[in-house]
Amino acid sequence: MDHERSARVWGAIRAVANGDDSSLSLLHAVTACAQVLSAAGAGLALTSSGGMLEPLLATDAEIGELDELQSSLGEGPSGDAISAGAPVLETDLAGLNAGRRWPSFSAAVAGRGMHGAFAFPVAAGAAKVGVLSVYRRQAGPLRAEQLQDALVFADAVFVLALDQRHGVSADLDEMIEAAFTARRAEVHQAAGRLAAQEGVSVADALALLRAHAYSSGQPLHRVAADVMSGSLKLESGSSPPGGPTDPKELDPDHAENEQEED
Amino acid sequence: MSATDRRVREVFIELSDTLVDDFDIIEFLDRLAARCSELLGVSACGILLADHHGVLNLVAASTEQARLVELTQLQNSEGPCLDAFSTGHPVQHPDLRDARGRWPRFTAAAIGAGYLSVQALPMRLRDKVVGAVNLFSRSTGQLDADTITLGQALADAATIGIVHQRAMARQEVVTEQLQTALNSRVLIEQAKGFLTHSLSIDVDEAFVVLRHYARANSRRLTDVADDVVQGRLTMSALRSVTPG
Repeated sequence: MDHERSARVWGAIRAVANGDDSSLSLLHAVTACAQVLSAAGAGLALTSSGGMLEPLLATDAEIGELDELQSSLGEGPSGDAISAGAPVLETDLAGLNAGRRWPSFSAAVAGRGMHGAFAFPVAAGAAKVGVLSVYRRQAGPLRAEQLQDALVFADAVFVLALDQRHGVSADLDEMIEAAFTARRAEVHQAAGRLAAQEGVSVADALALLRAHAYSSGQPLHRVAADVMSGSLKLESGSSPPGGPTDPKELDPDHAENEQEED
Repeated sequence: MSATDRRVREVFIELSDTLVDDFDIIEFLDRLAARCSELLGVSACGILLADHHGVLNLVAASTEQARLVELTQLQNSEGPCLDAFSTGHPVQHPDLRDARGRWPRFTAAAIGAGYLSVQALPMRLRDKVVGAVNLFSRSTGQLDADTITLGQALADAATIGIVHQRAMARQEVVTEQLQTALNSRVLIEQAKGFLTHSLSIDVDEAFVVLRHYARANSRRLTDVADDVVQGRLTMSALRSVTPG
Protein backbone atom coordinates (compact mmCIF):
# COMPACT_ATOMS: atom_id res chain seq x y z
CA MET A 1 0.00 0.00 0.00
CA ASP A 2 0.97 3.57 -0.50
CA HIS A 3 2.22 4.46 2.97
CA GLU A 4 4.47 7.03 1.38
CA ARG A 5 1.63 9.30 0.37
CA SER A 6 0.06 9.13 3.83
CA ALA A 7 3.42 9.85 5.44
CA ARG A 8 4.01 12.79 3.08
CA VAL A 9 0.58 14.28 3.73
CA TRP A 10 0.82 13.93 7.50
CA GLY A 11 4.39 15.27 7.35
CA ALA A 12 3.11 18.39 5.59
CA ILE A 13 0.46 18.86 8.30
CA ARG A 14 3.09 18.37 11.01
CA ALA A 15 5.33 20.99 9.36
CA VAL A 16 2.53 23.57 9.41
CA ALA A 17 1.77 22.70 13.07
CA ASN A 18 5.45 23.07 14.01
CA GLY A 19 5.51 26.56 12.53
CA ASP A 20 2.59 27.28 14.84
CA ASP A 21 4.25 25.54 17.78
CA SER A 22 1.11 23.59 18.64
CA SER A 23 -0.46 20.15 18.26
CA LEU A 24 -2.14 19.08 15.01
CA SER A 25 -5.37 20.90 14.32
CA LEU A 26 -7.95 21.00 11.56
CA LEU A 27 -6.64 24.38 10.40
CA HIS A 28 -3.13 22.93 10.08
CA ALA A 29 -4.45 20.15 7.86
CA VAL A 30 -6.49 22.51 5.68
CA THR A 31 -3.55 24.93 5.37
CA ALA A 32 -1.14 22.13 4.43
CA CYS A 33 -3.62 20.87 1.85
CA ALA A 34 -3.80 24.28 0.16
CA GLN A 35 0.01 24.49 0.14
CA VAL A 36 0.64 21.02 -1.26
CA LEU A 37 -1.96 21.55 -4.00
CA SER A 38 -0.59 25.03 -4.83
CA ALA A 39 -4.12 26.32 -4.36
CA ALA A 40 -5.34 29.85 -3.59
CA GLY A 41 -6.72 28.46 -0.38
CA ALA A 42 -8.84 25.80 1.27
CA GLY A 43 -11.67 25.64 3.73
CA LEU A 44 -13.61 23.20 5.87
CA ALA A 45 -17.36 23.13 6.32
CA LEU A 46 -19.03 20.72 8.73
CA THR A 47 -22.38 19.02 8.35
CA SER A 48 -24.82 20.18 10.99
CA SER A 49 -27.38 17.85 12.53
CA GLY A 50 -29.92 19.20 10.02
CA GLY A 51 -27.72 18.10 7.13
CA MET A 52 -26.68 21.65 6.20
CA LEU A 53 -23.05 22.62 5.65
CA GLU A 54 -21.68 25.18 8.06
CA PRO A 55 -18.32 26.75 7.24
CA LEU A 56 -15.93 26.21 10.16
CA LEU A 57 -12.59 27.57 9.05
CA ALA A 58 -10.62 28.66 6.01
CA THR A 59 -7.06 29.61 5.14
CA ASP A 60 -8.09 33.25 4.70
CA ALA A 61 -11.12 35.55 4.59
CA GLU A 62 -11.54 35.37 0.81
CA ILE A 63 -11.79 31.57 0.89
CA GLY A 64 -14.08 31.75 3.92
CA GLU A 65 -16.45 33.95 1.91
CA LEU A 66 -16.59 31.40 -0.91
CA ASP A 67 -17.56 28.65 1.53
CA GLU A 68 -20.11 31.01 3.12
CA LEU A 69 -21.58 31.70 -0.32
CA GLN A 70 -22.02 28.00 -1.04
CA SER A 71 -23.66 27.57 2.33
CA SER A 72 -26.02 30.56 2.14
CA LEU A 73 -27.02 29.93 -1.49
CA GLY A 74 -27.47 26.24 -0.75
CA GLU A 75 -25.66 25.19 -3.91
CA GLY A 76 -22.12 24.50 -5.04
CA PRO A 77 -19.53 21.75 -5.30
CA SER A 78 -19.38 21.16 -1.52
CA GLY A 79 -23.07 20.34 -1.10
CA ASP A 80 -23.00 18.04 -4.10
CA ALA A 81 -19.90 16.27 -2.78
CA ILE A 82 -21.45 15.49 0.59
CA SER A 83 -24.69 14.19 -0.90
CA ALA A 84 -22.92 12.10 -3.57
CA GLY A 85 -20.31 10.73 -1.17
CA ALA A 86 -17.65 11.45 -3.79
CA PRO A 87 -15.48 14.39 -4.76
CA VAL A 88 -16.85 17.08 -7.07
CA LEU A 89 -14.14 18.58 -9.21
CA GLU A 90 -15.06 21.76 -11.04
CA THR A 91 -12.23 22.84 -13.30
CA ASP A 92 -13.86 26.07 -14.52
CA LEU A 93 -16.41 27.98 -12.46
CA ALA A 94 -16.89 30.38 -15.39
CA GLY A 95 -17.73 27.51 -17.75
CA LEU A 96 -21.08 26.34 -19.08
CA ASN A 97 -21.20 23.23 -16.94
CA ALA A 98 -20.74 25.15 -13.68
CA GLY A 99 -23.29 27.76 -14.80
CA ARG A 100 -25.91 25.10 -15.42
CA ARG A 101 -25.17 23.11 -12.30
CA TRP A 102 -24.91 26.00 -9.82
CA PRO A 103 -26.37 29.12 -11.46
CA SER A 104 -26.43 31.30 -8.33
CA PHE A 105 -23.05 30.24 -7.00
CA SER A 106 -21.24 30.59 -10.32
CA ALA A 107 -22.84 34.03 -10.87
CA ALA A 108 -21.84 35.09 -7.35
CA VAL A 109 -18.19 34.11 -7.81
CA ALA A 110 -17.86 35.58 -11.31
CA GLY A 111 -15.31 38.38 -11.29
CA ARG A 112 -13.60 37.13 -8.14
CA GLY A 113 -10.81 35.59 -10.18
CA MET A 114 -11.39 32.10 -8.80
CA HIS A 115 -11.87 29.35 -11.38
CA GLY A 116 -11.16 25.95 -9.89
CA ALA A 117 -13.37 24.62 -7.08
CA PHE A 118 -12.71 21.12 -5.77
CA ALA A 119 -14.80 19.60 -3.00
CA PHE A 120 -13.78 16.44 -1.11
CA PRO A 121 -16.15 14.72 1.31
CA VAL A 122 -14.74 14.41 4.82
CA ALA A 123 -16.67 11.23 5.30
CA ALA A 124 -16.83 7.45 5.24
CA GLY A 125 -20.17 6.00 4.20
CA ALA A 126 -22.90 7.37 6.46
CA ALA A 127 -20.33 9.06 8.70
CA LYS A 128 -20.44 12.47 7.05
CA VAL A 129 -18.38 15.00 8.97
CA GLY A 130 -18.10 17.72 6.35
CA VAL A 131 -16.41 18.86 3.17
CA LEU A 132 -12.88 20.01 2.41
CA SER A 133 -13.01 22.69 -0.29
CA VAL A 134 -10.01 23.71 -2.36
CA TYR A 135 -10.02 26.78 -4.61
CA ARG A 136 -7.62 27.70 -7.38
CA ARG A 137 -7.38 30.95 -9.33
CA GLN A 138 -6.55 29.25 -12.63
CA ALA A 139 -8.95 27.01 -14.54
CA GLY A 140 -7.99 23.42 -15.32
CA PRO A 141 -7.82 20.05 -13.62
CA LEU A 142 -5.69 19.03 -10.68
CA ARG A 143 -2.89 16.70 -11.68
CA ALA A 144 -3.51 13.03 -10.90
CA GLU A 145 -0.94 13.23 -8.09
CA GLN A 146 -2.59 16.29 -6.55
CA LEU A 147 -5.96 14.61 -6.74
CA GLN A 148 -4.70 11.57 -4.81
CA ASP A 149 -3.02 13.87 -2.25
CA ALA A 150 -6.27 15.80 -1.78
CA LEU A 151 -8.16 12.56 -1.06
CA VAL A 152 -5.58 11.63 1.58
CA PHE A 153 -5.85 15.14 3.08
CA ALA A 154 -9.62 14.66 3.32
CA ASP A 155 -8.99 11.39 5.19
CA ALA A 156 -6.58 13.21 7.51
CA VAL A 157 -9.16 15.93 8.23
CA PHE A 158 -11.71 13.17 8.87
CA VAL A 159 -9.66 11.43 11.56
CA LEU A 160 -8.60 14.75 13.14
CA ALA A 161 -12.24 15.88 13.33
CA LEU A 162 -13.36 12.55 14.83
CA ASP A 163 -10.55 12.49 17.36
CA GLN A 164 -11.23 16.02 18.56
CA ARG A 165 -14.65 14.87 19.74
CA HIS A 166 -12.93 12.92 22.46
CA GLY A 167 -9.92 15.14 22.97
CA VAL A 168 -7.67 12.47 21.49
CA SER A 169 -4.33 13.75 20.31
CA ALA A 170 -2.30 10.93 18.85
CA ASP A 171 1.22 11.12 17.54
CA LEU A 172 1.96 11.09 13.86
CA ASP A 173 2.86 7.41 13.53
CA GLU A 174 -0.35 6.38 15.25
CA MET A 175 -2.27 8.66 12.93
CA ILE A 176 -0.77 7.18 9.78
CA GLU A 177 -1.24 3.67 11.07
CA ALA A 178 -4.84 4.24 12.08
CA ALA A 179 -5.91 6.23 9.03
CA PHE A 180 -8.46 3.69 7.89
CA THR A 181 -6.21 1.88 5.51
CA ALA A 182 -6.36 -1.58 7.04
CA ARG A 183 -9.28 -3.94 7.59
CA ARG A 184 -11.79 -1.23 6.96
CA ALA A 185 -14.73 -3.57 6.45
CA GLU A 186 -14.51 -4.69 10.07
CA VAL A 187 -14.07 -1.15 11.39
CA HIS A 188 -17.09 0.13 9.49
CA GLN A 189 -19.22 -2.84 10.52
CA ALA A 190 -18.29 -2.16 14.14
CA ALA A 191 -19.20 1.52 13.74
CA GLY A 192 -22.62 0.50 12.39
CA ARG A 193 -23.17 -1.98 15.20
CA LEU A 194 -22.15 0.53 17.86
CA ALA A 195 -24.41 3.18 16.30
CA ALA A 196 -27.36 0.78 16.63
CA GLN A 197 -26.43 -0.25 20.19
CA GLU A 198 -25.95 3.25 21.51
CA GLY A 199 -28.44 5.13 19.36
CA VAL A 200 -25.73 7.50 18.11
CA SER A 201 -24.68 8.53 14.60
CA VAL A 202 -22.19 6.39 12.70
CA ALA A 203 -19.68 9.25 12.89
CA ASP A 204 -20.02 9.37 16.68
CA ALA A 205 -19.64 5.60 16.81
CA LEU A 206 -16.43 5.77 14.76
CA ALA A 207 -15.10 8.48 17.06
CA LEU A 208 -15.88 6.24 20.06
CA LEU A 209 -14.02 3.32 18.47
CA ARG A 210 -10.96 5.45 17.79
CA ALA A 211 -10.98 6.97 21.27
CA HIS A 212 -11.12 3.53 22.82
CA ALA A 213 -8.29 2.30 20.58
CA TYR A 214 -6.06 5.15 21.75
CA SER A 215 -6.92 4.93 25.43
CA SER A 216 -6.52 1.15 25.52
CA GLY A 217 -3.43 1.10 23.28
CA GLN A 218 -5.05 -1.47 21.00
CA PRO A 219 -5.15 -1.33 17.21
CA LEU A 220 -8.43 -0.05 15.79
CA HIS A 221 -9.21 -3.28 13.93
CA ARG A 222 -8.93 -5.30 17.15
CA VAL A 223 -11.30 -2.96 18.98
CA ALA A 224 -13.64 -3.34 15.99
CA ALA A 225 -13.41 -7.14 16.09
CA ASP A 226 -14.17 -7.14 19.83
CA VAL A 227 -17.23 -4.95 19.29
CA MET A 228 -18.45 -7.27 16.54
CA SER A 229 -17.95 -10.40 18.65
CA GLY A 230 -19.78 -8.77 21.55
CA SER A 231 -16.81 -9.16 23.88
CA LEU A 232 -16.41 -5.38 24.18
CA LYS A 233 -19.18 -2.98 25.14
CA LEU A 234 -18.48 0.70 24.54
CA GLU A 235 -20.78 3.36 25.86
CA SER A 236 -21.40 6.75 24.36
CA GLY A 237 -21.75 8.34 27.80
CA SER A 238 -18.11 9.32 27.72
CA SER A 239 -18.57 11.89 24.95
CA PRO A 240 -17.91 15.51 25.91
CA PRO A 241 -20.81 17.75 27.01
CA GLY A 242 -22.47 19.88 24.37
CA GLY A 243 -22.84 17.01 21.94
CA PRO A 244 -20.21 15.93 19.47
CA THR A 245 -22.29 16.94 16.46
CA ASP A 246 -22.15 20.61 17.44
CA PRO A 247 -19.49 22.12 15.14
CA LYS A 248 -18.45 24.66 17.77
CA GLU A 249 -17.42 21.85 20.09
CA LEU A 250 -15.00 20.52 17.52
CA ASP A 251 -12.48 23.29 17.65
CA PRO A 252 -13.27 25.78 20.37
CA ASP A 253 -9.87 27.48 20.19
CA HIS A 254 -10.00 28.13 16.51
CA ALA A 255 -13.60 28.64 15.55
CA GLU A 256 -13.66 32.39 16.16
CA ASN A 257 -10.71 33.96 14.41
CA GLU A 258 -9.76 31.46 11.79
CA GLN A 259 -11.02 33.34 8.79
CA GLU A 260 -8.97 36.40 9.60
CA GLU A 261 -5.67 34.57 9.84
CA ASP A 262 -2.91 34.27 7.27
CA MET B 1 -25.40 -20.44 -31.49
CA SER B 2 -24.52 -22.84 -28.67
CA ALA B 3 -26.24 -22.74 -25.30
CA THR B 4 -23.11 -21.18 -23.78
CA ASP B 5 -22.88 -18.48 -26.43
CA ARG B 6 -26.52 -17.67 -25.91
CA ARG B 7 -25.98 -17.40 -22.15
CA VAL B 8 -22.92 -15.15 -22.65
CA ARG B 9 -25.01 -12.88 -24.82
CA GLU B 10 -27.82 -12.83 -22.27
CA VAL B 11 -25.39 -11.92 -19.49
CA PHE B 12 -23.88 -9.00 -21.41
CA ILE B 13 -27.37 -7.74 -22.23
CA GLU B 14 -28.36 -8.10 -18.58
CA LEU B 15 -25.25 -6.21 -17.47
CA SER B 16 -25.70 -3.38 -19.95
CA ASP B 17 -29.34 -3.11 -18.91
CA THR B 18 -28.12 -2.55 -15.37
CA LEU B 19 -25.95 0.34 -16.54
CA VAL B 20 -28.72 2.90 -16.56
CA ASP B 21 -28.18 6.40 -15.21
CA ASP B 22 -29.09 5.81 -11.62
CA PHE B 23 -27.69 2.32 -11.22
CA ASP B 24 -26.35 0.84 -8.01
CA ILE B 25 -22.68 0.05 -8.35
CA ILE B 26 -22.52 -2.59 -5.62
CA GLU B 27 -25.60 -4.37 -6.99
CA PHE B 28 -23.99 -4.33 -10.45
CA LEU B 29 -20.65 -5.73 -9.23
CA ASP B 30 -22.39 -8.30 -7.06
CA ARG B 31 -24.35 -9.54 -10.07
CA LEU B 32 -21.22 -9.50 -12.20
CA ALA B 33 -19.35 -11.62 -9.65
CA ALA B 34 -22.16 -14.19 -9.69
CA ARG B 35 -22.31 -14.26 -13.52
CA CYS B 36 -18.51 -14.59 -13.75
CA SER B 37 -18.58 -17.79 -11.70
CA GLU B 38 -21.40 -19.18 -13.80
CA LEU B 39 -20.06 -18.33 -17.28
CA LEU B 40 -16.43 -19.14 -16.64
CA GLY B 41 -17.22 -22.40 -14.89
CA VAL B 42 -15.35 -21.41 -11.74
CA SER B 43 -16.49 -21.88 -8.16
CA ALA B 44 -16.29 -18.30 -6.96
CA CYS B 45 -15.38 -14.79 -7.99
CA GLY B 46 -14.21 -11.70 -6.09
CA ILE B 47 -13.85 -8.11 -7.31
CA LEU B 48 -11.34 -5.72 -5.74
CA LEU B 49 -10.87 -1.99 -6.33
CA ALA B 50 -7.92 0.23 -5.46
CA ASP B 51 -8.46 3.36 -3.36
CA HIS B 52 -6.39 6.55 -3.28
CA HIS B 53 -3.95 5.00 -0.83
CA GLY B 54 -3.17 2.37 -3.47
CA VAL B 55 -4.86 -0.21 -1.24
CA LEU B 56 -7.17 -2.83 -2.75
CA ASN B 57 -10.65 -3.06 -1.21
CA LEU B 58 -13.06 -5.94 -1.67
CA VAL B 59 -16.22 -4.58 -3.31
CA ALA B 60 -18.03 -7.78 -4.31
CA ALA B 61 -17.77 -11.55 -3.91
CA SER B 62 -19.99 -14.32 -5.24
CA THR B 63 -19.74 -16.48 -2.12
CA GLU B 64 -19.01 -15.97 1.54
CA GLN B 65 -16.00 -18.31 1.41
CA ALA B 66 -14.49 -16.30 -1.43
CA ARG B 67 -15.04 -13.14 0.58
CA LEU B 68 -13.04 -14.54 3.49
CA VAL B 69 -10.21 -15.70 1.24
CA GLU B 70 -10.11 -12.27 -0.41
CA LEU B 71 -9.92 -10.57 2.99
CA THR B 72 -7.03 -12.86 3.97
CA GLN B 73 -5.31 -11.78 0.80
CA LEU B 74 -5.81 -8.10 1.58
CA GLN B 75 -4.86 -8.34 5.24
CA ASN B 76 -1.62 -10.11 4.48
CA SER B 77 -0.81 -8.08 1.39
CA GLU B 78 -0.08 -11.20 -0.64
CA GLY B 79 -1.96 -13.15 -3.27
CA PRO B 80 -2.72 -13.37 -6.98
CA CYS B 81 -5.02 -10.33 -7.04
CA LEU B 82 -2.33 -8.09 -5.57
CA ASP B 83 0.12 -9.44 -8.14
CA ALA B 84 -2.32 -8.87 -11.02
CA PHE B 85 -2.99 -5.37 -9.72
CA SER B 86 0.68 -4.42 -9.33
CA THR B 87 1.85 -5.93 -12.64
CA GLY B 88 -1.24 -5.23 -14.76
CA HIS B 89 -1.08 -8.80 -16.11
CA PRO B 90 -3.21 -11.90 -15.50
CA VAL B 91 -1.87 -14.19 -12.79
CA GLN B 92 -2.70 -17.88 -12.80
CA HIS B 93 -1.91 -20.74 -10.46
CA PRO B 94 -3.27 -24.12 -11.63
CA ASP B 95 -2.53 -25.99 -8.38
CA LEU B 96 -2.45 -24.02 -5.17
CA ARG B 97 -0.86 -26.94 -3.34
CA ASP B 98 2.35 -25.85 -5.11
CA ALA B 99 1.87 -22.17 -4.29
CA ARG B 100 2.81 -22.16 -0.61
CA GLY B 101 6.22 -20.64 -1.35
CA ARG B 102 4.67 -17.84 -3.40
CA TRP B 103 1.73 -16.80 -1.16
CA PRO B 104 1.92 -18.81 2.09
CA ARG B 105 -1.00 -17.24 3.97
CA PHE B 106 -3.26 -16.78 0.97
CA THR B 107 -2.67 -20.39 -0.10
CA ALA B 108 -3.51 -21.73 3.34
CA ALA B 109 -6.76 -19.74 3.44
CA ALA B 110 -7.75 -20.68 -0.12
CA ILE B 111 -7.11 -24.39 0.36
CA GLY B 112 -8.87 -24.22 3.72
CA ALA B 113 -11.94 -22.88 1.91
CA GLY B 114 -11.74 -25.73 -0.61
CA TYR B 115 -10.23 -23.86 -3.57
CA LEU B 116 -7.44 -25.57 -5.51
CA SER B 117 -6.69 -23.18 -8.35
CA VAL B 118 -6.89 -19.46 -8.89
CA GLN B 119 -6.85 -16.91 -11.67
CA ALA B 120 -6.56 -13.13 -11.24
CA LEU B 121 -7.36 -10.65 -14.00
CA PRO B 122 -6.43 -6.95 -13.88
CA MET B 123 -9.18 -4.34 -14.29
CA ARG B 124 -7.62 -1.90 -16.71
CA LEU B 125 -8.62 1.57 -17.76
CA ARG B 126 -6.25 2.70 -20.49
CA ASP B 127 -2.78 2.77 -18.92
CA LYS B 128 -4.08 2.49 -15.37
CA VAL B 129 -4.97 -0.60 -13.33
CA VAL B 130 -7.95 0.23 -11.10
CA GLY B 131 -8.51 -3.17 -9.50
CA ALA B 132 -8.59 -6.91 -10.12
CA VAL B 133 -11.00 -9.82 -10.52
CA ASN B 134 -10.20 -13.09 -8.77
CA LEU B 135 -11.53 -16.46 -9.93
CA PHE B 136 -11.42 -19.50 -7.66
CA SER B 137 -11.92 -23.15 -8.62
CA ARG B 138 -12.43 -26.25 -6.51
CA SER B 139 -10.53 -28.28 -9.10
CA THR B 140 -6.94 -27.96 -10.27
CA GLY B 141 -5.93 -26.97 -13.78
CA GLN B 142 -5.62 -23.97 -16.04
CA LEU B 143 -8.49 -22.10 -17.60
CA ASP B 144 -8.32 -22.33 -21.39
CA ALA B 145 -7.54 -19.30 -23.53
CA ASP B 146 -11.18 -18.72 -24.56
CA THR B 147 -12.34 -18.73 -20.98
CA ILE B 148 -9.63 -16.26 -19.99
CA THR B 149 -10.60 -13.98 -22.88
CA LEU B 150 -14.22 -14.09 -21.75
CA GLY B 151 -13.09 -13.47 -18.16
CA GLN B 152 -11.11 -10.43 -19.26
CA ALA B 153 -14.18 -9.13 -21.14
CA LEU B 154 -16.21 -9.45 -17.93
CA ALA B 155 -13.45 -7.69 -15.97
CA ASP B 156 -13.54 -4.89 -18.55
CA ALA B 157 -17.33 -4.74 -18.18
CA ALA B 158 -16.79 -4.22 -14.45
CA THR B 159 -14.39 -1.35 -15.15
CA ILE B 160 -16.84 0.23 -17.59
CA GLY B 161 -19.60 -0.16 -15.04
CA ILE B 162 -17.56 1.71 -12.48
CA VAL B 163 -16.47 4.58 -14.67
CA HIS B 164 -19.80 4.65 -16.57
CA GLN B 165 -18.09 5.53 -19.80
CA ARG B 166 -15.75 3.87 -22.19
CA ALA B 167 -12.55 5.46 -23.42
CA MET B 168 -13.44 9.09 -22.98
CA ALA B 169 -13.67 9.36 -19.20
CA ARG B 170 -11.54 12.18 -17.85
CA GLN B 171 -9.38 11.74 -14.77
CA GLU B 172 -11.86 13.71 -12.62
CA VAL B 173 -14.78 11.54 -13.69
CA VAL B 174 -12.85 8.35 -12.98
CA THR B 175 -11.84 9.58 -9.53
CA GLU B 176 -15.38 10.66 -8.67
CA GLN B 177 -16.82 7.32 -9.70
CA LEU B 178 -14.15 5.13 -8.10
CA GLN B 179 -14.72 7.02 -4.87
CA THR B 180 -18.47 6.53 -5.18
CA ALA B 181 -18.01 2.77 -5.53
CA LEU B 182 -15.62 2.56 -2.57
CA ASN B 183 -17.86 4.75 -0.44
CA SER B 184 -20.93 2.64 -1.29
CA ARG B 185 -19.08 -0.39 0.03
CA VAL B 186 -18.26 1.40 3.30
CA LEU B 187 -21.91 2.40 3.70
CA ILE B 188 -23.05 -1.20 3.19
CA GLU B 189 -20.55 -2.48 5.77
CA GLN B 190 -21.91 0.08 8.27
CA ALA B 191 -25.48 -1.01 7.56
CA LYS B 192 -24.50 -4.68 7.97
CA GLY B 193 -22.95 -3.88 11.35
CA PHE B 194 -26.07 -1.92 12.34
CA LEU B 195 -28.32 -4.88 11.53
CA THR B 196 -26.16 -7.37 13.45
CA HIS B 197 -27.30 -5.53 16.55
CA SER B 198 -30.85 -4.56 15.58
CA LEU B 199 -31.86 -7.95 14.18
CA SER B 200 -29.43 -10.11 16.19
CA ILE B 201 -28.03 -11.73 13.05
CA ASP B 202 -24.51 -12.16 11.71
CA VAL B 203 -22.92 -9.92 9.08
CA ASP B 204 -23.59 -12.28 6.19
CA GLU B 205 -27.25 -12.64 7.07
CA ALA B 206 -27.35 -8.87 7.34
CA PHE B 207 -26.18 -8.52 3.74
CA VAL B 208 -28.82 -11.01 2.59
CA VAL B 209 -31.51 -9.00 4.41
CA LEU B 210 -30.33 -5.75 2.80
CA ARG B 211 -30.29 -7.28 -0.66
CA HIS B 212 -33.68 -8.97 -0.29
CA TYR B 213 -35.26 -5.77 0.94
CA ALA B 214 -33.70 -3.72 -1.89
CA ARG B 215 -34.87 -6.21 -4.54
CA ALA B 216 -38.34 -6.66 -3.05
CA ASN B 217 -38.85 -2.89 -3.07
CA SER B 218 -36.94 -2.12 -6.30
CA ARG B 219 -34.58 0.17 -4.45
CA ARG B 220 -30.85 0.70 -4.67
CA LEU B 221 -28.83 -1.28 -2.16
CA THR B 222 -26.91 1.82 -1.09
CA ASP B 223 -30.13 3.79 -0.51
CA VAL B 224 -31.49 0.99 1.67
CA ALA B 225 -28.18 0.86 3.57
CA ASP B 226 -28.36 4.61 4.16
CA ASP B 227 -31.94 4.36 5.44
CA VAL B 228 -30.87 1.60 7.82
CA VAL B 229 -28.03 3.51 9.46
CA GLN B 230 -30.07 6.74 9.63
CA GLY B 231 -32.85 4.85 11.42
CA ARG B 232 -35.37 5.54 8.63
CA LEU B 233 -36.33 1.88 8.18
CA THR B 234 -38.16 -0.09 10.81
CA MET B 235 -36.69 -3.42 11.71
CA SER B 236 -40.06 -5.09 11.23
CA ALA B 237 -40.11 -3.92 7.59
CA LEU B 238 -36.70 -5.50 7.08
CA ARG B 239 -37.61 -8.63 9.00
CA SER B 240 -40.66 -9.16 6.82
CA VAL B 241 -38.47 -9.92 3.79
CA THR B 242 -35.94 -11.99 5.71
CA PRO B 243 -35.63 -15.34 3.99
CA GLY B 244 -36.00 -18.48 6.06
